[in-house]
Amino acid sequence: MPATEKIDLVKLHREAYSARKKPFLLTVEPARYLAIEGRGEPGGDSFQSKVGALYAAAFTLKFTSKEAGRDYSVCKLEAVWWADGCEDGDLSGVPQAQWRWQLMIRTPDFIGEDELTAAAEKIRAKGKVDGIGGVHFELLEEGRCVQALHVGPYDRESETVAGMQAFAAEQGLVLFGRHHEIYLSDPRRVEPARLRTILRRPVRAA
Amino acid sequence: MSPPTTTEDYAARILRVLEYIQLHLDESLNPADLASIACFSPFHFHRVFRAMVGESVMGHVRRLRLERGAWKLKFSDQPILRIALDSGYETHEAFTRAFGARFECSPSRFRELHRRIDYPPAPSRVHYDSEGEVGSFVPLPSDAGGLEVEVVERPTRTIAFVHHQGPYDQVGEAWDQLMTWVAAEGLFAPDLEMLGLCHADPAITPADQVRYDACVTVDGDFQPSGRVGCKEIAGGEFARVEHVGPYEDLGETYDLLIGHWLPASGYEPAEPPCIEQYFNDPNDTPPEELSTDVYLRLRS
Repeated sequence: MPATEKIDLVKLHREAYSARKKPFLLTVEPARYLAIEGRGEPGGDSFQSKVGALYAAAFTLKFTSKEAGRDYSVCKLEAVWWADGCEDGDLSGVPQAQWRWQLMIRTPDFIGEDELTAAAEKIRAKGKVDGIGGVHFELLEEGRCVQALHVGPYDRESETVAGMQAFAAEQGLVLFGRHHEIYLSDPRRVEPARLRTILRRPVRAA
Repeated sequence: MSPPTTTEDYAARILRVLEYIQLHLDESLNPADLASIACFSPFHFHRVFRAMVGESVMGHVRRLRLERGAWKLKFSDQPILRIALDSGYETHEAFTRAFGARFECSPSRFRELHRRIDYPPAPSRVHYDSEGEVGSFVPLPSDAGGLEVEVVERPTRTIAFVHHQGPYDQVGEAWDQLMTWVAAEGLFAPDLEMLGLCHADPAITPADQVRYDACVTVDGDFQPSGRVGCKEIAGGEFARVEHVGPYEDLGETYDLLIGHWLPASGYEPAEPPCIEQYFNDPNDTPPEELSTDVYLRLRS
């Protein structure tokens, strides 16, 4: 039997994961994620706990699938950000305690509800991971977006966003919708100045 | 409490080995015995030796045997074949090749030339001496190359592990087995540590005899099953350094840590294995971004 090719969603969707400092326009296909939601300070206890639950589900699903003969790469962590009454993504004036977020890991279509339910049960039985029940599938449809690579600490993203805004304005567009981040670097292992994060915002005509 | 081990102590132990080698060139010298003369495990010894002497221990032995061959060519009338055999070569031709590479001259021509012996320079300046004297051994200056080493405590941890024997670059198979087991057991958790135990240094061990354990930390309460075993990694004091880059280059970080940092650190190494802690999935991470912590166990 020929070995099946390992599936790498990042390679299959090169443009969506293109990391260029100069803002550019792209159309993002609908994308399916494992996801979990929360509220409050980024990097806080609740945030970390939910990152843990999401990764536990993602890796349990991956290695279970690999064992069954369908291997794939676990994609990078992503997140979208908003706040109640502030759907358009500019959170600069909103206290962090009110920030809402959805953490997401892109996952192949052949991983379905049954697999997720089985994985969650195994993890729940060990009792080592909180909030595994919150992990679910989410289809994100962003459509036309502006995207740019931000290099540096998360709290300096506004500088890159300003560039994205200016670029959109040149095209007669405005940013709207939830602020989307794709974490290329592991913040536990990479110093803040070298963190690489793809920023993405849907756009519409001004 | 014993006084801290100093660079001079390490140099003195390497000097003991150099003296032993000078006096025992006719015997079959092997790295494990030489390591024990220096009171090091073979794992630590070869890196300390190379850092201080500037050549591998067996490279040093080969060079001294060649230099002794040169000395005999000049000062004895032994036939060249006999000198070749005594120098560790099985044939006249092999000796001639090695001799020519070092002395830029054939053994017979070397014998005929009427000039004094000039041994080609060696980094340590230690050469064969017919009286068996090492002379003045000055260790090469240590250069840990800006390596950032932290001395840290690690607690005793229970681990589940899959043993691997064979080439280091094939440990992925043990990891696949272990991670499949972790997934089946529902054990993926944020505090799961992925550790590697290197029982034999790939740099000095024949590839088929490299022994390695792929490990994850677990709570004490699980039953070993199939290839997945259970044991404890004792806690204690460790020197920790981060290696960023491909796993193939880990040897360079070990060289700096053990060969250059350790002798100047005031610490004494404890028995191996070293511990490697991995933070990425090499299947999903470009090699140059792989981050690995290397833990060298220290004697307390």
